[in-house]
Amino acid sequence: MNGMAAEQPWLWAGLAAYLLATLVAMWGVSPRSVNSPLVTSRGHEKLVLGFILLGVVLLTVAIIARWDRIGHGPWISLFELLMSQMWSLGLIFAFLYWRLPGLRPSAVIVLPVMWILGSWVLTLEPDVSHFPATYYNVWKWAHVGVGKVFLALLLAGVGLGGVMILRTTERGRIWFRAMPVDAIIDKLAWRLMMLALVFDSLMLIAGAVWAQDAWGRYWAWDSLETSAFLTWIFLAIGLHVRLSYRIKPWVSGAIIIGVFIMAFSTYFGTPYLSPSAHKGVV
Amino acid sequence: MLSGLRLLASLKFTLLGMVLLGLGAAASYGNPVDVSVWVLIVPLALLALNLSAAIITNPRINRQPGLLIFHVCLLATVLLAGVGRLTHLDAHLELAQNDSFHKDALMEVNKGPWHIGNLDAVSFIQGPYTVDYAAGLQRGLTHSTVYLPGPDGGVVTRDVGDDRPLVLERYRFYTTHNKGFAPILTWLPIQGAPITGHINMPSYPLFEYKQDNQWTPPGSEETIKFWLQLQTGMTLEQPWVLDGRNSTGTLVVTIGDRREELQVGEEVQLEQGRLRYEALTTWMGYRVFYDPTIQWLFWVTIIGVLGLTHFFWIKLNLKPWMDEVDAAPLANGDEGRA
Repeated sequence: MNGMAAEQPWLWAGLAAYLLATLVAMWGVSPRSVNSPLVTSRGHEKLVLGFILLGVVLLTVAIIARWDRIGHGPWISLFELLMSQMWSLGLIFAFLYWRLPGLRPSAVIVLPVMWILGSWVLTLEPDVSHFPATYYNVWKWAHVGVGKVFLALLLAGVGLGGVMILRTTERGRIWFRAMPVDAIIDKLAWRLMMLALVFDSLMLIAGAVWAQDAWGRYWAWDSLETSAFLTWIFLAIGLHVRLSYRIKPWVSGAIIIGVFIMAFSTYFGTPYLSPSAHKGVV
Repeated sequence: MLSGLRLLASLKFTLLGMVLLGLGAAASYGNPVDVSVWVLIVPLALLALNLSAAIITNPRINRQPGLLIFHVCLLATVLLAGVGRLTHLDAHLELAQNDSFHKDALMEVNKGPWHIGNLDAVSFIQGPYTVDYAAGLQRGLTHSTVYLPGPDGGVVTRDVGDDRPLVLERYRFYTTHNKGFAPILTWLPIQGAPITGHINMPSYPLFEYKQDNQWTPPGSEETIKFWLQLQTGMTLEQPWVLDGRNSTGTLVVTIGDRREELQVGEEVQLEQGRLRYEALTTWMGYRVFYDPTIQWLFWVTIIGVLGLTHFFWIKLNLKPWMDEVDAAPLANGDEGRA
């Protein structure tokens, strides 16, 4: 790779904006800032939201710059996929952050998870990727679109699940003192999980339609399909466990995080561990 | 009877079925030949039984329309997927340009015991094709032209690709990476009628380095070896379009120690007759797929998701989403249930 790719400065700027959002969110939950006028007026939350949105705007420019450079959208390489996910996760989490004030302190868990993606993308080369024939299908848009909403809802659930787990410690109770009791957090978290199940189901359906026309079969138990189905069944098991048993909040949080880990592996691990048809290898 | 159904409808039984299905799915990864399909069928059958019993007996399901629709659709999905496997057909096909489709040409046929499709009614003729390649020989779109019998004896032209199937009698024909060249030859025996046919060479450009095949003329014990030297304009560094109409090939014919190079129109004299190199044509490989349930599956799953959405929509609207007002601490207990 010679020189700097057109998208890189915008990508770094976007990541910097997410970093600022993370730092302000952390400062907001710190016991030292409890009497700060910015915290008491909840002005710091506006700052967090503003930095996340700034990051989304900068990442939008990065994606457009790359699209213009290589001639296709962020569908193929891990670099593109991570950049695109950072954009959609930021956008949807910003919406939830704005609409659901109760979950705002959980940004100190959500944003560092996004930073795992941010750190990862910085280690990758922004090489030009080949756009395979199977990616011309319009169902790709539906599959990817609902998949992005699914992962973002899971991520927001992870934030709330993490809060319930951390609240088993004294420090966690201090950090998340501004949040409602665990029962409300748990209820909200599982509402997000319910929505995630709807979007996960839609993702599988749209993916099956795409697979039918792209690879000549709607289901073949390939690596990504198996992994995606296991994620769906884990989520369904989680919902049924919560319906069947009276579980402790930290167990509830652990189940949500477990489902997210499965989904995360499906998105960012499985497609790159095997020569899957999803990479256009046919 | 009812108590038995209630036992069968237990949510704990559902969890067991789901865990078994998860294990079955993990074991089915990559369709290994040594893993029985029963690892999926048993948990799916258990879940179908559990689901049927739950739909009948569980008021939490059958008194909530959205949840009822979702679970009925889930059951229908399982049943349709099962019927689909019993009636499906998967196969491959190689068709040279100007050849008509015939069901005997299907290869690697894999079909369910209840398959009753109407392959005899499928009729089309293979035309020319092009395949786009990006730099680095990365395959792009395939445009394969096929001709179908049209109304009033006319001909209808269709463009088929990897992602644009030709659908006839519910059979779906998709182009594949498997395609190549085929010299058309005429065998003129000393005695008997001439025979014209083609020899399919290995897939191109995948096996560009070994474009060879062999053939034994009828009534002869001598095997003729063929090697095709192609000029297709293939480039590695630049984008390229594979088009049989812009390609030429020299046919190297080897019989024992004798070696002859033939251009189109030339022939070689052999002991039992003459072999003429008539023309160079192409062949296209297709994947053939048949499953009469796929449209039903699609709509049933969509209706199921809509049912689930309806159920959750009501759930989500029972109380306002957490905001400034209900951020105040609430008592623990069932209130916390989603």
